[in-house]
Amino acid sequence: MSRRQASLQRPTTDLPVLIAPSAGSTGRTAGRDSGCGAPPRLAYWHGFLLLAALLLSAGVAEAQSEPGRAGILETMIKWTPLLFEGFLFNILISFMAMAIGTVAGGFLGIWQISLLPSVRRGSWLVTQFFRNAPWLVLLFFCMFLLPFQIEIFGLVVPLPDWLKATFGLALPVMANVSEIVRGAIQSLPSGQWESAESLAFTRRQTLWMIILPQCVKRMLPPWMNLYAILTMATVLASVVGVSEVMTLTGEVLSAEGGRTDLLVPFYSYILVWFFIYCYPIARWTVYLERRFAVNA
Amino acid sequence: MEQVASWFLWLYQETGINLPIVYDSFDRKRFAEGFLTTVWLSLVCLVFSVVIGIVGAWLQGSRLVWTRRLVQGYIQFFRNTPPLVQMYFFFFALGNLLPTVENEFGFQQPMLGNFAWAAISLSFFAGAFNVEIFRSGIEAVPKATVEAAEALGYNRLQAYLHVVLPLAFRVCLPALNNNLVNLVKTTTLAYAIAVPELLYVSNQVWSDNVNVPEMMTILLFIYVGLVGILVWAMNRWERAMKVPGYGA
Amino acid sequence: MTRMMQGLLLAGVLALGLSAGDAQADLAAAKERGKLIVGVKADYKPYGYRDPSGAIVGIEPDLAKDVADKLGLELELVPVVSSNRMQFLEQGKIDLMIATMTDRPDRREVVWIVEPNYYSSGTNVLASKKVGFKQWEDLRDKPICGIQGAFYNKKTQTEYGAEIVAFKGTAEVLTALKQGRCLGFVYDDSFIVSKLGDDEWADFEMPLPTIDDAPWGLAVQLGDQAFHDIMHEMIVNWHKSGRIIELEKKYGVNNTPFALAMHEKHKNM
Repeated sequence: MSRRQASLQRPTTDLPVLIAPSAGSTGRTAGRDSGCGAPPRLAYWHGFLLLAALLLSAGVAEAQSEPGRAGILETMIKWTPLLFEGFLFNILISFMAMAIGTVAGGFLGIWQISLLPSVRRGSWLVTQFFRNAPWLVLLFFCMFLLPFQIEIFGLVVPLPDWLKATFGLALPVMANVSEIVRGAIQSLPSGQWESAESLAFTRRQTLWMIILPQCVKRMLPPWMNLYAILTMATVLASVVGVSEVMTLTGEVLSAEGGRTDLLVPFYSYILVWFFIYCYPIARWTVYLERRFAVNA
Repeated sequence: MEQVASWFLWLYQETGINLPIVYDSFDRKRFAEGFLTTVWLSLVCLVFSVVIGIVGAWLQGSRLVWTRRLVQGYIQFFRNTPPLVQMYFFFFALGNLLPTVENEFGFQQPMLGNFAWAAISLSFFAGAFNVEIFRSGIEAVPKATVEAAEALGYNRLQAYLHVVLPLAFRVCLPALNNNLVNLVKTTTLAYAIAVPELLYVSNQVWSDNVNVPEMMTILLFIYVGLVGILVWAMNRWERAMKVPGYGA
Repeated sequence: MTRMMQGLLLAGVLALGLSAGDAQADLAAAKERGKLIVGVKADYKPYGYRDPSGAIVGIEPDLAKDVADKLGLELELVPVVSSNRMQFLEQGKIDLMIATMTDRPDRREVVWIVEPNYYSSGTNVLASKKVGFKQWEDLRDKPICGIQGAFYNKKTQTEYGAEIVAFKGTAEVLTALKQGRCLGFVYDDSFIVSKLGDDEWADFEMPLPTIDDAPWGLAVQLGDQAFHDIMHEMIVNWHKSGRIIELEKKYGVNNTPFALAMHEKHKNM
């Protein structure tokens, strides 16, 4: 952040003393204040790029297709409502898995810096285990090893497979959040702890009132990163048979008789949907990153 | 070896715990090959993604607007779309656009095989995250440090390689660590385009033998072990390179 | 917040503890919930596939409907794939499985396959005419596409030395085959025959003698005697009335010798 600020304030100079003001100069020529690291704003060319990609794939596919069959665009429109339903399902799964994972991971992360060795080691072990296991394998585990319904005090609660997939995805999210929290806490200068102690704060007070508030801005970007990864991992649920967008795409392609010319446009279509959903989130991340930045 | 195999066969008959990857030579061979494929794929992707990250972060500081935009477009595309779909797209769509070559049987086949496409798509996917990670690390390097380097007569590339990168590297090592761990786990996706890696062969084994829980457990332990080694090495490195004065 | 966490942990422990016990989804459970849950394929046209509304249709869903009607229950179809269908039945996620599954002895140890078999198909290869396969031994060391979870992958690999490249679904395999990433596609002959009728596959053939002509089995959970008996009767009736043949016609499949023979055998019983 400091660098971005500096580049904005940098006077225009030809002196070789300063490194070429890469960010500042372009920000200026473009008439914007976007720093070199920050992604440029959603602009016309983004749309062009997407459109070009879609057209290219559709064009290639159209060239390969034979006359006398339903057009590619027509086919895509026909299946769009079904696929969109599947896509919404992906989003729902991502929300739930993120919520569960964040709450569980937050506590796990704080326990990781606990002064009690057993708590610290235990939470470290849990974190490492779930962080190191591939998402797909955890998904399979939850899918095959959780029952299809559970009975709590005589009340039968069904566990549909999408819920099991949500749990399966929440586990690695939990472990990653735990690491984000631990990393953020440990990235603060140790002076923070020491000065709080000298002001007679207890450890708990220091953590909740001094350390964690400062950590939020450090945790937010990686947390949003994690959400992006999670959203895109929801398609893994297709492997275990949840009727989300990827499963449906495969089934649609097979219902169309396995037409090979449809594969490219359909998968690019799904790519574009995910992009349209995830890109604004990425933009928002950058915005928050800036807002929470402490100007040093 | 013979005894071990017969013991596992006995285990199956007595307890129903079926581990053909130990007693069946065919399953054992393909499982071992799958393991090696996973390791190899991970290594290739690790190296390429870090290279992409470093080069990308450097290009992001370029003076040319379009270079920066290109890098930005690349990052945004790969970060915001699912790697599984990317892999399908690379393999089926882009793979089809490349010229074909004649294979050993005298027929035309696409130039790059599924392993190559898996390596390319995974490297680009992880590389997109690495560019961002390196960028944030670079931003954390105080301006004064860079200026000091310039005062000593470094040019942009030199300052980047000798001053900014080593410092930035330390700052972003935890995030990089995280991403590389993710990458190794993401190699499981290569099963979707039939790269015979660990998950793929496990899938075949449990389809043939109906022993999902056993194979799952083994898979989990192998991956946790594999990633554990990487994490351990990275953590050691992280500690060794820690900047003094930070951390509780 | 801490309470929430504790609740979460409790739920997790409960779930894990309960998973040890075997889920019961027998006929009685189906009747109790008023709904029969059947696992069918959703990517195997014409036996089970999606229509644009998202519903699963095809020969097997129609058979499942017959069962639900007979029992007077509502029908819910759950899409399954080869690699999870038996697990779903085993853990009670589905009550009945009609999912193009070949009847094999090792599968009979896991699920209860109901006699007689309702359908049959063998294994063959879809390949370009240019490749000119003549016999199964020609596959040696050649890249051959397959579907993940199909049992003949291993056989093609071990007995004929082919190099199997397995994908998740038929759409992926057919693309790979067209792109020349493999020289043939080893799969059910019923599927290959239906493909060959398509203009798009005019340059392709099914050159080898069909092997492993094996019956398909629908299955219930092990030990569910009552449901087994009902299903046994249902299958006999399907053959007797020519229901299978009728469904083949409805979905544009040439009548298979198996279906005709079974009808012949049962119609006068």
